[in-house]
Amino acid sequence: MIARIEYALRETWASFRRNLTLTMAAVLTSAIALLLVGATFLIQRAFENLLVQWRGDVAMIVFVRSDASPEQVALIDGTLRAAPSVIDVDKLRYLDKAESYAEAQRIFVGDPVTLSLLTPETIPTQFKVVPLTQDTDLVRSLADQYRTLPGVEAVALAEDEFEVISTLSSFVRNVTLIMSMVLLIVAVGLIWNTIRTAMFARRREIEVMKLVGATNWFIRIPFMLEGLLQGLIGGVVSCVGVWALNGAWSSGVAAFKPGTGISSLVVPSGYLSGVMVVLLLLGAAIGAIGSAIAASRFLDV
Amino acid sequence: MIKLEGVTKIYGQDTLAVDDVSFDVNKGDFVFLVGPSGSGKSTLLRLMSREEVATEGDVWVAGRNVCEMQPSRVPFLRRSLGNIFQDYKLLLNKTVFENVAFALEVIGKPRHVIREQVPFVLELVGLADKGERFPNQLSGGEQQRVSIARAFVNRPLIMLADEPTGNLDPATSEGIMALLQAINETGTTVVMATHDHRVVNAMRRRVIQLDRGLVVRDQERGVYE
Repeated sequence: MIARIEYALRETWASFRRNLTLTMAAVLTSAIALLLVGATFLIQRAFENLLVQWRGDVAMIVFVRSDASPEQVALIDGTLRAAPSVIDVDKLRYLDKAESYAEAQRIFVGDPVTLSLLTPETIPTQFKVVPLTQDTDLVRSLADQYRTLPGVEAVALAEDEFEVISTLSSFVRNVTLIMSMVLLIVAVGLIWNTIRTAMFARRREIEVMKLVGATNWFIRIPFMLEGLLQGLIGGVVSCVGVWALNGAWSSGVAAFKPGTGISSLVVPSGYLSGVMVVLLLLGAAIGAIGSAIAASRFLDV
Repeated sequence: MIKLEGVTKIYGQDTLAVDDVSFDVNKGDFVFLVGPSGSGKSTLLRLMSREEVATEGDVWVAGRNVCEMQPSRVPFLRRSLGNIFQDYKLLLNKTVFENVAFALEVIGKPRHVIREQVPFVLELVGLADKGERFPNQLSGGEQQRVSIARAFVNRPLIMLADEPTGNLDPATSEGIMALLQAINETGTTVVMATHDHRVVNAMRRRVIQLDRGLVVRDQERGVYE
């Protein structure tokens, strides 16, 4: 058993070095493909920071002054509930100071200046409003009406803020997703080709191995390990790339003017580590798939 | 040890290579398959090592029907066979020792077995002092001895030899035949395809003559004619 493992590892390494140019091409392609996959995840997550306050079909947010009296809050609540034909009363939610502050921490994650101006005491509370109607003019006229209520600080409409970001976010997601899918397929193809070439270079050895009774798995495993290794190295390279890009981006957007929203396009470090684990697994998977196809189809040399 | 029953092999649509061939080979036999090029000698050997599967009929090798064998069992059949060829099929980037060791290594034999067995068979084929040479540094006869050592190192029940003297001069061929005879005397069955008159006539062993896929003669202690 030890002799077999030793053989497989030795052959994997020898073949890896022999085909260095092709191996490099396969590794780099998988690295770039995986980098794009990683970027897709990060961009998506960053945009979510901006979109979090509109989650769940919320189309209007009524911000209530932090010094509003309980009577004023009750009056606003009553007014909102007085229009059950336009507003989905069941989905109407009131976020108190603690909840609003928690949400702000997420929205202003990359904007410590703005965040430092907010405290759980001074933050406006908010009503999240889900309309029943698709009629935006009707929603807009309601908003104008609510602005005049005592205690209301501001009324924000999704139409004004959310939709640009949402459209931009899904556009960027689609583009990066398609590009990374295409590149992933290319990476599998390149690994497949590298392994095929390695097997062709060693066709005499394979012929002799079959002749003296080596099992197909014994012949295949070093080639499959080689492909796995290529994918995995691609994964490691892409992790370094994602980490560096994220670092550069985070420090770049931190310099933006507070309150523009751009500075909240950052991800927490726990999420980054998660993405890196996914990239490593994905790299190993494309290596295994590419080499498994090659090793099963080209054994008859 | 080997039994063919009504074996027919057709390549592609209509290339008849072997036509309804039946014969038995007993344990310890030495059999020549003779006949002109294209008479089906090599095909018979390839059917025995299951590099080909018969179109019709059954091929029994060492008690197993190789035509009905699962592909995953074929490597284990091959471990009981030793194959040698006209072109030796040595690995040019490996030394003599490594070439022989390779046959044991790829069937997962531990290193102490390799260290023990390889020098032993190299001694047997008369190449004890050439283990560190590369195949290109050896004569044709020496290269064929390496390939015999590789085929024999796993102690096969049967040796299948396809024109082993085809590239060798008469004096060298004689040495190779003496070696195959010595291997035969250890109890190993030998089946050798050849069109070399001299070796067949010198040995006087069983001769199966083929012509266009048909057995036209099966004679104990025969000559080539």
